[in-house]
Amino acid sequence: MRLLLVEDELEIQCFVKQSLIEAGYEVDTAEDGRAASQLAAKHAYQGLIVDLGLPDQDGIDLILQLRRSGVTSPVLILSARRSVDDRVKGLELGGDDYLTKPFAVAELLARMRNLLRRNSAQAEDATRLRICDLEVDLLKRRATRAGEVLNLSPQEFVLLEYLCRHAGRVVTRSMLLSEVWGMRIQPDTNVVDVHIYRLRGKIDSEGREPLIKTLRGLGYVLKGN
Amino acid sequence: MSSRATNPVMRSAAWRISLWATLAFAIGTMLVFAMLHRFVADDIQRRSDAWLSGEVEVLGDVAERTPKDRLYSRVVGEVAELASREVPNRQRPTSNENENDSVFFLQAADAGPVRLWVGLGDGSANLSAIRSTKAQQDIPFDVRVKGFTIPFRVASVRIADGSNIYLGLSERDELHVLRSLRVRFLTLWLASVLLGFVIVFYATRRMLGHVREITEAASRIGQSDLSSRVPNTKCNDEVGHLARTLNHMLDRIEHSVHQLHTITDSLAHDLRSPLTAIRGKLETALSGNFRVDRAEPIVSAIDELDRLTEFLNTSLDVAEAKADALRLTRTEIDLDELLRSMINLYEPCMSDRGLGVHIRSAGSVKVLADPALLHRVVANLLDNELKHLPAACTVWLALQSSNSMGTLTIEDNGPGFDVEVSRHLFEQRIKGRESRGHGLGLAFVEAVVRVHGGNVTASNRVEGGARLTISLPLWKNNEREIPGSLLLANG
Repeated sequence: MRLLLVEDELEIQCFVKQSLIEAGYEVDTAEDGRAASQLAAKHAYQGLIVDLGLPDQDGIDLILQLRRSGVTSPVLILSARRSVDDRVKGLELGGDDYLTKPFAVAELLARMRNLLRRNSAQAEDATRLRICDLEVDLLKRRATRAGEVLNLSPQEFVLLEYLCRHAGRVVTRSMLLSEVWGMRIQPDTNVVDVHIYRLRGKIDSEGREPLIKTLRGLGYVLKGN
Repeated sequence: MSSRATNPVMRSAAWRISLWATLAFAIGTMLVFAMLHRFVADDIQRRSDAWLSGEVEVLGDVAERTPKDRLYSRVVGEVAELASREVPNRQRPTSNENENDSVFFLQAADAGPVRLWVGLGDGSANLSAIRSTKAQQDIPFDVRVKGFTIPFRVASVRIADGSNIYLGLSERDELHVLRSLRVRFLTLWLASVLLGFVIVFYATRRMLGHVREITEAASRIGQSDLSSRVPNTKCNDEVGHLARTLNHMLDRIEHSVHQLHTITDSLAHDLRSPLTAIRGKLETALSGNFRVDRAEPIVSAIDELDRLTEFLNTSLDVAEAKADALRLTRTEIDLDELLRSMINLYEPCMSDRGLGVHIRSAGSVKVLADPALLHRVVANLLDNELKHLPAACTVWLALQSSNSMGTLTIEDNGPGFDVEVSRHLFEQRIKGRESRGHGLGLAFVEAVVRVHGGNVTASNRVEGGARLTISLPLWKNNEREIPGSLLLANG
């Protein structure tokens, strides 16, 4: 899949590009609106990542201009502004997403994946998720490990479901807070970690292969298949 | 409905103004009328006095010159009869002249019986009434005669034979003229006072209606967006001037708030771009390096960076909130629901540290607030409890709603607030000696609650521990929606 990254700060452009390539995407980069329009005219990109503060034009105007010229791919907006512009909220309703700086790379990747999946209309309506010997039944709201039923609270089940859906990929604390608890907060205590420890205590009981791994400074990852 | 509707009208300024204006008008016109009335009454009196004096002179003359023979009474009586037909101010000519009761003629000595009488009855009552009235000779005077409700005006003249001639004229017609004048005036007066009241009331109400519209618009602007303006009337009067002045003031406020936003935005932008770059580099370094001893400094650098970002966000929020320039995306929030999901998140961590949590809530308490900010407020309070409470303490959360405010009380049985900081709890940079935070927590809580129209109080409990109370105005569904606020409800 080919993505276009429009970002004028070279250092940011560099590590975002690097992480996207590592995640398996092909990435073209542009440093301003003009270059971005030219590239978008030449290639059909599956997704765009656009910074709002471009040197020659406002990111929103660039997106609107691309939309008018027939680009329908989803856009992930990067913003260094404090509050999200109302116009960005308008775009978000149109299937785009935004991320405020500074962000965790894992979150950028997760949001990009979400956008691409939404756009390709591959509805993930599986009723059963399976990772190694862990099975999550989404209909019965029940999880088993090696055939043994795990005694999870509803909250723990939602948490596990989210981890399973992102199996093999890093999930940050703020992703968990916003997606599992529906809050955009930054607690300076380890509230999320405690939930993960408890969940791990139930899934990775003694003698079993640990599935949930902590990546210090980054977040958590549930082992992929 | 009607009693609820009349009360505001009677309390309104328009009602009071029209009441006072009408009162002044009524008293003024009444005074003018009283003067006019007096003038007219005096004038009528003067005219009838002149007539009486003239006629009594003539009668006196006739009586003196007529020989005192058999025909005397007939001649004088005839003349008196003729005179009585020329009564001034006559309202209705009586059909029967013989029954003329408005005039009498009387001749009598200082003592003794009536010598000559022309009029209704025998005249003895009139004579005794005249004699009991002390009067000067040449000036007509009032006489109240027994059997008549209306007094007579009487003029007298003394003739050569020592007897007095009296000519009396009933004041009935005069009083009748004055009474009809009064009735007409009062009718007109009442009508014009009522009309005046109605006109003044509607005019003032219309005028004050503009003022009320301006007030309503201004209060709407106060709680939602600064970009709207109060309605501008086209009139060039005081109200139009008020509207223009307010709008001019709003222009300036909007301009300075906009400037503040520009400053905070560019400050945030200038700091965030390098922060993003640093964070990205650290993450890249971390993902390529799995040696634990090497990873540790990077991990703590990322943590520090995140705390720095959070600090930056919070200080700018507090700065904007203190300047009443915090951008809010308000939506209806159930505090009960919010509290329960927060406790859901925090409870495991709290019980891990040996802290107990209890919620006491009587059900849903709805407020109109920015959800992200309110989440951060509650998270801030719970983080505070987590950081400062020693093990085995308990936190009590209570949610109540009084008539217009929803109140969230958070109490604990820990050490309470430090005495030396407790007076400055809501100021920035104030923190207890043991605290590792940046001292913005409660300043942020207070600032956010205040921009939502609520207030925060903090104190130490008598039985030990801290108590913090947050009050927020309740949201009622039937209230008018604040324009533009629900548009972004799910943002």
